[in-house]
Amino acid sequence: MPPQVLANINAKYGLDQALWKQLLDYVWGIVSRFDFGPSFVYPDQTVNSIIAQGFPVTLTYGLLSAIVAVLIGVTLGVVAAVRHNSWIDSLAVGISVGAQVLPNFVMAPILVLVFTLWLRWLPGGGWEGLGHPAYMVMPVIALSTSYMASIARITRSSMLEVLNSNHIRTAKAKGLPMRRVVMRHALKPSLLPVISYLGPAFVGMITGSVVIDMYFSTGGIGKFFVESALNRDYAVMMGITILLGALTIAFNLFVDILYAWIDPKIRY
Amino acid sequence: MARYGQPIVSWISCSNYNQNRYCSSPNALLRKFHKQGDDPYEKKLLLSACLALVIAAPAFAANPQPDEKLADNQNLNYWLLDAIKTKDPQLNSAVEGSDVARQLFEGLYNQNYAGELVPGVATDYEVSEDQTVYTFHLRPEAKWSNGEPVTAEDFVFAWQRLADPATGSTYAWYEELMNVKNASAIVAGEVDPSELGVKAVDDHTFEVTLGSPIPYFIKMTTHTSTFPVNRAVVEEFGDQWTLPENMVGNGAYKLVEDKLGQDLTLERNENYWDNDNTVIETIHFQAINDKNAALTRYLAGELDRIELPSGQFPRLKEEYPDQTHAVPRSCTYAYLFNVSEKGPEALKDVRVRKALSYALNRDIIVDNITRGGQKPAYSWTYYATADFQPPVTDYSQWSQEERNEKAVELLKEAGYDKSNPLELTLSYNTSDDHKKIAIAAQQFWKAIGVNVTLNNTEWKVYLDNLKNYNFDIGRYAWCGDYDEASTYLDYFRSGGMNYGGFDDPDYDAVMKASLTAEDPSADYDKAEQILAEEMPLAPIYFYSTPVMVPADVKGLPVDNVLQNWYAKDIYRVAD
Repeated sequence: MPPQVLANINAKYGLDQALWKQLLDYVWGIVSRFDFGPSFVYPDQTVNSIIAQGFPVTLTYGLLSAIVAVLIGVTLGVVAAVRHNSWIDSLAVGISVGAQVLPNFVMAPILVLVFTLWLRWLPGGGWEGLGHPAYMVMPVIALSTSYMASIARITRSSMLEVLNSNHIRTAKAKGLPMRRVVMRHALKPSLLPVISYLGPAFVGMITGSVVIDMYFSTGGIGKFFVESALNRDYAVMMGITILLGALTIAFNLFVDILYAWIDPKIRY
Repeated sequence: MARYGQPIVSWISCSNYNQNRYCSSPNALLRKFHKQGDDPYEKKLLLSACLALVIAAPAFAANPQPDEKLADNQNLNYWLLDAIKTKDPQLNSAVEGSDVARQLFEGLYNQNYAGELVPGVATDYEVSEDQTVYTFHLRPEAKWSNGEPVTAEDFVFAWQRLADPATGSTYAWYEELMNVKNASAIVAGEVDPSELGVKAVDDHTFEVTLGSPIPYFIKMTTHTSTFPVNRAVVEEFGDQWTLPENMVGNGAYKLVEDKLGQDLTLERNENYWDNDNTVIETIHFQAINDKNAALTRYLAGELDRIELPSGQFPRLKEEYPDQTHAVPRSCTYAYLFNVSEKGPEALKDVRVRKALSYALNRDIIVDNITRGGQKPAYSWTYYATADFQPPVTDYSQWSQEERNEKAVELLKEAGYDKSNPLELTLSYNTSDDHKKIAIAAQQFWKAIGVNVTLNNTEWKVYLDNLKNYNFDIGRYAWCGDYDEASTYLDYFRSGGMNYGGFDDPDYDAVMKASLTAEDPSADYDKAEQILAEEMPLAPIYFYSTPVMVPADVKGLPVDNVLQNWYAKDIYRVAD
């Protein structure tokens, strides 16, 4: 590249400044204007605009996956614990173990094979926004399965423990129907470990969306995360890292607050 | 099928390919450019390189045959391995970016299926007596997508913008290559961009002054970096002018949506001068980073052109014969013998080199290992090269048994047999494919009583070893920088890249004669015969790119190595 052209490109991105100045400008931009600077690879994009495009997508299927994982996982876990050692228990454990050992990069192609190539029900990839749920089905299933399995196992073991505790024995002795015992007295305490698991798990669903974005071309933030590393787009890399770090902190805080609400015994 | 046409211009795209090999960088070309004149070979390289830039392209405007009925669905889903970095014609430096830019903008000239020039915005041109001033007449009906007319001033702006260091284009060197007057000085920052040798004589007359005549100048105007841009829009929006809400183009299509890293949506531009003859309504450029995922999406009917993952070609060719094609790609895979001073004594004996080359069963390699439509190679020059048919070398006509017999015989003459086996090392750089071929070669050579040790290193280390003659037999591949046999044959000149250190005065003389010959193909023929006789390398196979295109998509280059395609030439037919 001609030196003059290189000099101009450097000047444009501020790379001709002293290193301390570059750092100061960068940090000041974030603190004062929440501006992570321009992308080094896409001339017409800034880090903020890339995140603004990718993050809503990731958040949408991440939230949906979390909801699916919690609903199915908790249900499976509770049913398995209540019908301990029955065929229902074995089935639920079987499902959760099966789901656990299938990582999303295996799930994704299998889903596409079945739903896209054989049944022709769902599109094999892409993302058309909230109005098009068909594009969300497979990403959500692929992303939520293993989390669902973990939640089911955690719920089951904690529920078994709670069902053997004193207050449940009292509730049963009062003659409360089993349904009432579970819903009213056992469920809330047995969800504590699930909630502590969910905080990091939700961040994991967003960072772990790399495979989903790559395989289903959903255009979420995971793709930009990987791509920025490969392209040495440092500004984007930093921006997404900071975003994910902030999310991790936020969710852990949220979980701690939730804890206190569920179990008033816990005080910080 | 049409004659295999012009191999792709590889020196822009070579980084995309996973086969490690040498590519001449634009800078290398430019250095040669500056030196041009000192050495006749340099000049030749440059000239042909530029020719290659502009060769290739499908027909001019969609041209359905009378018996073809157009389909209702005229959408095209084009697969991209990576999201394109920019749609700005002057900033773009990638082949896939050019694929997009060619739909959004239109330069002075386009190309038709045979790679011939057809008018774009320019209808015709005149050249001055001394061949340095080109006057282009622009079609008055050419319009931007916002309805304003495309004027000579727009070209002046774009051409100055390309050279202007303030633009920071990594393709500024292209204008130096075109030899536009003052381009080099502007790129170096010595002269103001307004001094560039371009002028708007009036709204529809664009004049270019060259530093010195270049016979192929006109062909270079099809390159995307010379496409016009709308000054008002670029100046108003700065870096953001390529966003869909801001962009104004003069191509057959306009940008309507850009889902970054995922999908780029183009719709036909009602203001395009030849809109009446355009058929495809919508183009989606979809970025899918995984070839297997792309294949699935293709099979689900969601993509219209993909490149196949390695190893899948034979199965898909059988299942979908009318959709699966092996597109020729101008590269040759070979084993180089180190015949330099530093090389092993045994390889200095031509009989040994011949024996080693004969013993390689190329059919097994292409049919069972590479399996992507590659062809066995018995010459160094790619089989589909413009204006030159590589000669049929003697050993290509023998059966493998005959070759093996001959090999054993030659080895014996050279003093090697089972009791006194030849020991050599075969080096290759890290890659599964290279490894598989090396293991096969090891077996082929074992059969004739040669013991070969395999030596695998990373590409950079490997290249250093090659450059320092630090190998016995080395894997290598060469891709044509331009579509002319000399891109291959120059390699083995004593002053060429020539990592094996081949030095043959006859060869040099033949190549030198080819420079001034009216028809150099006779000299190229001799050069290939010398290579077959002296065997400084064992050619193994000719590359190809396996692709799938639905049978109803017409006008996309399939039978040809063409890389430059224009969506306005494409159409879908009804079943």
